[in-house]
Amino acid sequence: MELEVKRDRLVLRAGGGKWEWHIEPRYWRNPLIYVSILIIAPVVVYFVYPSLLATVIDANLLAAIAIPLALMSIGTGRMNFGPQFYIGIGGYAAALLSIHFGLNPALTLIAAALAGIVFGFIMSPLSIIAGGLYYSLLTLLLPLLFLEVTFIFSDLFKGDTGLSGIAPLVSTGSFSLNLLIYAFISLAMMLFYLFIIDKIFRSRYAVQMAAINDDEEVANGIGVNVNKTKIISFIIPAMMVAIVGWFYAHYYGAFSGQTYLPLSFMLKVFMVTMIGGRTQIYGCIIGGYFIAFLEMILIRTTGGMSPVLFPVILLALLLVLPEGLFGLYRKHHYREYMPTLRFRR
Amino acid sequence: MLVAIETTLIYTFLLGSLYLLVSLGFSLICGVLRIFHLGYAYIFTATIYFTWMFMSLFGWGLIPSIAAMLVIQAGIAIAIYKGLIVRYIKREEIIILGLLFVAIILEQSALRFYPIQAGVYLETTMVPGLSKIGQVTVSNQLIFAAILGIVVTGLFVLFFLKTKLGLAVRAISYDIYSSRLMGIQVERVFMFIMVLVLIPVILATLAIAPIWAVEPSMGWGYMIIAILVSVLGGLGNIRGTIIASYIIGFCNSVVGFVIAQPLYMGLSALIVVLIMLIVRPQGIAKSETVW
Repeated sequence: MELEVKRDRLVLRAGGGKWEWHIEPRYWRNPLIYVSILIIAPVVVYFVYPSLLATVIDANLLAAIAIPLALMSIGTGRMNFGPQFYIGIGGYAAALLSIHFGLNPALTLIAAALAGIVFGFIMSPLSIIAGGLYYSLLTLLLPLLFLEVTFIFSDLFKGDTGLSGIAPLVSTGSFSLNLLIYAFISLAMMLFYLFIIDKIFRSRYAVQMAAINDDEEVANGIGVNVNKTKIISFIIPAMMVAIVGWFYAHYYGAFSGQTYLPLSFMLKVFMVTMIGGRTQIYGCIIGGYFIAFLEMILIRTTGGMSPVLFPVILLALLLVLPEGLFGLYRKHHYREYMPTLRFRR
Repeated sequence: MLVAIETTLIYTFLLGSLYLLVSLGFSLICGVLRIFHLGYAYIFTATIYFTWMFMSLFGWGLIPSIAAMLVIQAGIAIAIYKGLIVRYIKREEIIILGLLFVAIILEQSALRFYPIQAGVYLETTMVPGLSKIGQVTVSNQLIFAAILGIVVTGLFVLFFLKTKLGLAVRAISYDIYSSRLMGIQVERVFMFIMVLVLIPVILATLAIAPIWAVEPSMGWGYMIIAILVSVLGGLGNIRGTIIASYIIGFCNSVVGFVIAQPLYMGLSALIVVLIMLIVRPQGIAKSETVW
């Protein structure tokens, strides 16, 4: 094992492997500042305006759904219009096991992740057999039909009222402190997803995904295992989104398909990716916070008109900012290549 | 057994024809404009609620209200085409999300101003009463809607086959670039199609308004049927759409009326479509042209 200190990086050589870590400030200064702001913000909110913590948690969770969705979209070269299907899978797995079998959140987390993997695996062939148009339509239908199933098997899923009595993840006795802890857990989950997917996007797998995204036949011709890459980039995000569903179930202590499975929730997730910056993973955080706070402000200021005004504002933003908020930043700070979605017909 | 067969045949005809009317517009937009009109659901809601708005707000009669609704619907379709589709033709994700937002904005507006308890109801019954066909009793209005479906589809097919404009639409659906070279004004034809597809949807909505539930989110259910039919038939091909409508109609009539499990109708249709996609990914007919 050999550790070499270079001007801008540490290089570790062990066996036949080589690992590098950037130590030059320009590589870690900005991420450190942004992550510090995200960590400090809930603490400030806790002392100043605790009820805003719920919005912070919502923002983190929206970003935590949008970040894996970016990986899925780029890796499969198709837009999945039903990411909320996996929220339902994870949420119902956690809720049912917690209520009927009394499993603790650690065990339901494993179950939700497994459910996400299994359903992701079952659905992943869609990304191979169905072309762009068909794939988008079918993925759009899946959550709506799952919602229908929750009504058909109402005894089990309680489609009309939702499942309640799920063991909470945190129980300190103080509502505000609970929210603060939930905010940190959701933030940790979102940052973990960001870290993992950022690593994937900087690896050689990202080049394969970008090739698939550009042209599947060419990617196949240059030796990329298209089907394998697609299936992996379908299953991993499905599992990640299912874990967000698990969090929703234990955070609220209740889970209802009517909240997460309809198109309105899907649109919120999509606007996080679009307002953030067209499947840019860093933009998902900006998008998540923007959408969550915009919705909260509209509900508090316009009351009953907010369900109308919210989509109106989002539509206007979609048309005014086609590259999203992060696109404005990247326009002036373009550094490295990151694959973005190329929507194919 | 005989009753089951009779029920299946009758409801396959009724539901299939109605699904055809509901799906024709969606399929046409997919075939000609090559986009997903995921805002398709708004047409159903707008038909009912704009008509009701003119009737309740201005005290107009049914026919003038329907005429005014038609004008507004055409205006919205042109605005969508010019403001969204033309501007973002190369950014399909923006078109799809934008169309979905249009549908949600109209749905939420309808819900805000005319909530379910407002009791919105359109008396558009053309043939009142019930008929007994063999052992099966069905609403006359449903039979009327089914016949309307066949007639409208027939007229659409005739239009595409026998008129110059229909030929232009077929040419565009086959190859847009060659059509431009042949002097077809593609943008105008697109706009025409955007308005034309309103006709079957509006007729279907008005025909079923007196017999089926009317509420602001009604369009989503019909849009799901349209998507399933279009995917099964091969996006944009009318022949495929016709066959697929009756396949879904058959599936739903067996599940809903013979097995008597109406809650499973949507699920069973999706399973049929998924199986079909595995066996024949391009759908029943290849979506190379509208006919």
